[in-house]
Order: sequence, then structure tokens, then C-alpha cells
Amino acid sequence: MPIEVRNLTHIYHKGSPSEAVALKDISFRIENGEFVGLIGPTGSGKSTLIQHLNGLLKPTSGEVLVDGENIWDKGMSLRKLRQRVGLVFQYAEQQVFEETVREDIAFGPRNLGLSAKEVSERVEEAARMVGLPEDLLNRSPFELSGGQLRRVAIAGVVAMKPEVLILDEPAAGLDPRGRDAILSSIQEMHRAGMTVILVSHNMEDVARLCGRLLVLNRGELVADGSPREIFSRNEFVKKVGLRAPDVVNLMERLRECGWNVRTDIVNVDEALKEILREMGKEVPVLP
Amino acid sequence: MMSSGVIMGQYYPASSPVHSMDPRAKILISVLFMIVLFVGNNFYAFAIMGAFAGLAIAVSKVPLKLLIRGLRPILFIMLFTMVLHLFLTPGPAIFKVGPFTATWAGLVQGLFIGVRLVILIMFTSLLTLTTSPIELTDGLEDLLKPFARLGVPAHELAMMMTIALRFIPTLLEEAERIMKAQMARGADFESGNMVKRAKSLVPLLVPLFVSAFRRADDLAMAMEARCYRGGEGRTRMRQLHMAPRDYVAFGLVIVISVLVILVRIKFGPVISRL
Repeated sequence: MPIEVRNLTHIYHKGSPSEAVALKDISFRIENGEFVGLIGPTGSGKSTLIQHLNGLLKPTSGEVLVDGENIWDKGMSLRKLRQRVGLVFQYAEQQVFEETVREDIAFGPRNLGLSAKEVSERVEEAARMVGLPEDLLNRSPFELSGGQLRRVAIAGVVAMKPEVLILDEPAAGLDPRGRDAILSSIQEMHRAGMTVILVSHNMEDVARLCGRLLVLNRGELVADGSPREIFSRNEFVKKVGLRAPDVVNLMERLRECGWNVRTDIVNVDEALKEILREMGKEVPVLP
Repeated sequence: MMSSGVIMGQYYPASSPVHSMDPRAKILISVLFMIVLFVGNNFYAFAIMGAFAGLAIAVSKVPLKLLIRGLRPILFIMLFTMVLHLFLTPGPAIFKVGPFTATWAGLVQGLFIGVRLVILIMFTSLLTLTTSPIELTDGLEDLLKPFARLGVPAHELAMMMTIALRFIPTLLEEAERIMKAQMARGADFESGNMVKRAKSLVPLLVPLFVSAFRRADDLAMAMEARCYRGGEGRTRMRQLHMAPRDYVAFGLVIVISVLVILVRIKFGPVISRL
């Protein structure tokens, strides 16, 4: 189910004194099975953009096409769309409200009108996918840790079986183990066939996980390409107010020290290989 | 989301003599004005008070359109009382609807109450429209101070008001965010009957309450960390000062109060002359 955005412009409070242009003439297309990172400094319009993809916000001008159909056309069901395009908000644990974890994850599937049996199957499957131990399902959400609660919230969206999963900073504010766990379960879901759009401020994460990056700055789409293409333009990345992953900076510093290494490197494994090669050491086979 | 015409409690920033008045003066004048409005018992009194209110509005630079929009929420109450008066006041009949008789006295009485409400709402809205919430609470605190000896916790009340006002926009923003998050999970806030709609608010209200309590906790902690304690011995960053314009305003209100009392004695209640 490809998603296409054409000349999307969004203006908040149009016609009032507090009018603000949040997005300017954005166009892109995301194919099935892609893992796309959406990056940009605070206030660049990332959250506004993703809310357009499942119809929570209506474009001031331009259009959003899902499966080739304009989502704001008459006869299009926004609720159906929101099932197919799942959106996990930032600090999603704040939306949890039910008495037990199980009930909370079941909220979405129940809204789809599924049978009780289907709902409970979906809940268990979603809990497994986000790595929630089954014995937590009958606990009150308010007894859980922050990381576990975040996973409950993600499971609440995953349980609707969306074809596209959009996550706004799913790992923000979690401890290192929590963020690794969440990111690797997102990676698992992507491998299982889901299209994923990840909003993140962590350049290491997006460089490692995403096949493609969209860079927003002041409401404009300023770059669209692979992490390698984007992070190798270090000057541009800095100008936008972002920072390339540490390994990119390391390789550049090594080059300045006279090492003959490539700088278009985005993750630790690649950097390791390149350094070992330059040192004339044997390069081990890495997974 | 909440732009639905409720102007009570809204602040209209501008620079005008009314805006820069001492908040204590504005509060006292508003209270006095309300009392006098209820002392006035005929249309001559309303003419005087309406003229004063009109003058205040003109000087304040608050657009008349905004004030008229503020009347919208009470339109129903106004019409309701006017109709009640029209039919329930005894006197010579104008027309009959079933067992109810509309009377001339009722019509006059209804209009009278309506005009009183309009003047009341317009003038009191002017207080909050021209006084920022901070000034308003500062003024209230100062006015309540003399009652501290009677056990009125003036500072605490003012502090509570300030905090409540401060968090209204925050909570609205949060409500919108949670609503969207639940809509992304297929929640439906718009369709269905009353019961279904009330039920659909649970996924919004529970998280909202949880976060409001957490915010309150954090705020209390932050205040304590900065050694906050009650009113005794605290100094103010903004000191309140009565200026000549405040005395002029007071003078005017006293003049109109005397006029209204005189008019009351001379002409008597609106009804008796019918």
C-alpha cells in the first residue's frame, strides 16, 4: 500500500493572527516494505507531516494518496484508513487508560468491530511482537515501567494490524536497554513485511535502521535519499541543524590525520571494516 | 477548539487607559457597578449606566464585536427569562397562548431584565478582557488581604487561581493530543447517542486526569525546590499603585451611583407606572 504526498502545504490557524506555515509544498512517495526515517530539527514539521498520513490533519492544499486514492475524497473512510496506517504518537504511554494492559491493547481492535476471540488473538500477537511478557497482560498499566508502558502503547496500534506503521520518537526518554528492545522489535516487524516510518532525533538509530531518509527543515523537504547519501554531505547536515552519526565524524577525522579511509560510512560495522582494511589487518566476517 | 465565543475570562491585549488601570480599582468598580445596576429599577437608571459602560468600552479599545460575541452564550438564558416575564407578570393582556397570557407589564419587565443582563455581562467581561490573569489575581489577593485576619487564605486563593488559569491552555493542548492518539486507534468521539458519546470520553478523560495529577505533583515539587511558602513576608515583583486615572474612574462611578439612587427615588420602579 504505497503512500504518496503531493504538494502538501499545511497552515495552522489560517486567517488568524497566529497563522503559521508548518509545511510547504511537500511531495514524496513511499513504497511497500520501505523503512523510512523522518528527521529534522525541532519544529521542522515532522509531527504535522505524519498526522496527515492517517487523516488526523487535513492539508491546507495538496493531497495525500494512499493506494492511489485521495484520502479526503468523498466516500473514503478515515477510520478504515487509520486501521491501515497506524500512528504511534510521541510519549504514547500517556494515552493508556484501561484497567489492564490486555484491555488497553484491545481498544483498537475492538473499535474495528472484531469478535472477542479475534480481539484476544490480536492482543496476544501484538504483545509478542513488541516483546511484552504475557504475564504483564493482566496487570494494571500503571504498575508498569516507562519502557514497558511505551510497548503497551505501541502494541495498541500494532494490534490493529496496520500495513504502514508510523512511530514518532518511539525510543525517546527510555534507558539504553529499553530503546534497543523497542527498536529491534520495530525492525522485526519491518522484516515481517510492514512499511515503517520512523521519526527520530537519534542519527545513529536512523542510519542503522532506515533504508531511506526524508529530511525536513522549516516545513520544507530539503533532502530525500539513503542515509549514506545524506550523511556524507556533512556540511549540509550541519546547516540543517542535525549531526551525522559519530562514525561519520570519526572517519572524517581519520582522513584529516592522513588515513586513506572512505567517509561515506554510516554504521559501526562498516567503520570497523574500513579501519581494519586501512591498518592492513584481516577483516573478520561480520554478520 | 475552544474558540466558540466564550469571552468570559479571556484577555484582549491592547494599550488603553482601562488596560493600565490598577486591577484593584477595576475589581472594586466592577463590584460597585453590579450593585448599582441592581439598585437601579427603571430605564433612566439603565440609560445612565449604559452610557458609563459605553464610555468604558470606547476608552478600552476592546472591539464592540468581541463583546457582542460574548453575549452569545447567555442568549438562551436571556430569552428564557424574557419569555417567563412576558407570560407570568399579571396585568392587561396583549395576547393569549393557551392558558398563558402575555401582558404589557410582562413585556416591559422582560425587556428590563434583558437590558440589565446585557449591561451586566458586557461590563463585567470588560474586566477580564482588559486585565491579564496575573494582574487580576494580584489585585484579588490585595483586596482579600484585610480578611486574612478572619481566616481567609488570601494568598493561597490567589495562587490557586493563577495556577488554574496558567494550566488551561496546557490542558486543552493535551486533550487535543490524547484525542488524536485515540482517534489513531479507531476511537470515535463524534457519532452515536448521548450515552455512547459520554462513554467515548473515558479514553480521553482518564489519561487527561493522570497527566493533570502528575503535572500538579511536579509543580508542587518545583515550587518546594525553590523554597516557596505562603504569603507572609513575600514581596512583589510588580507593585500595585493607584494612579490619578483610577481616582477619576472611582469618582465617575460614585457620581453615577448617586444619580441612579436619585433617579430611583424620583421615578420609582418601572412597573408601577403602567
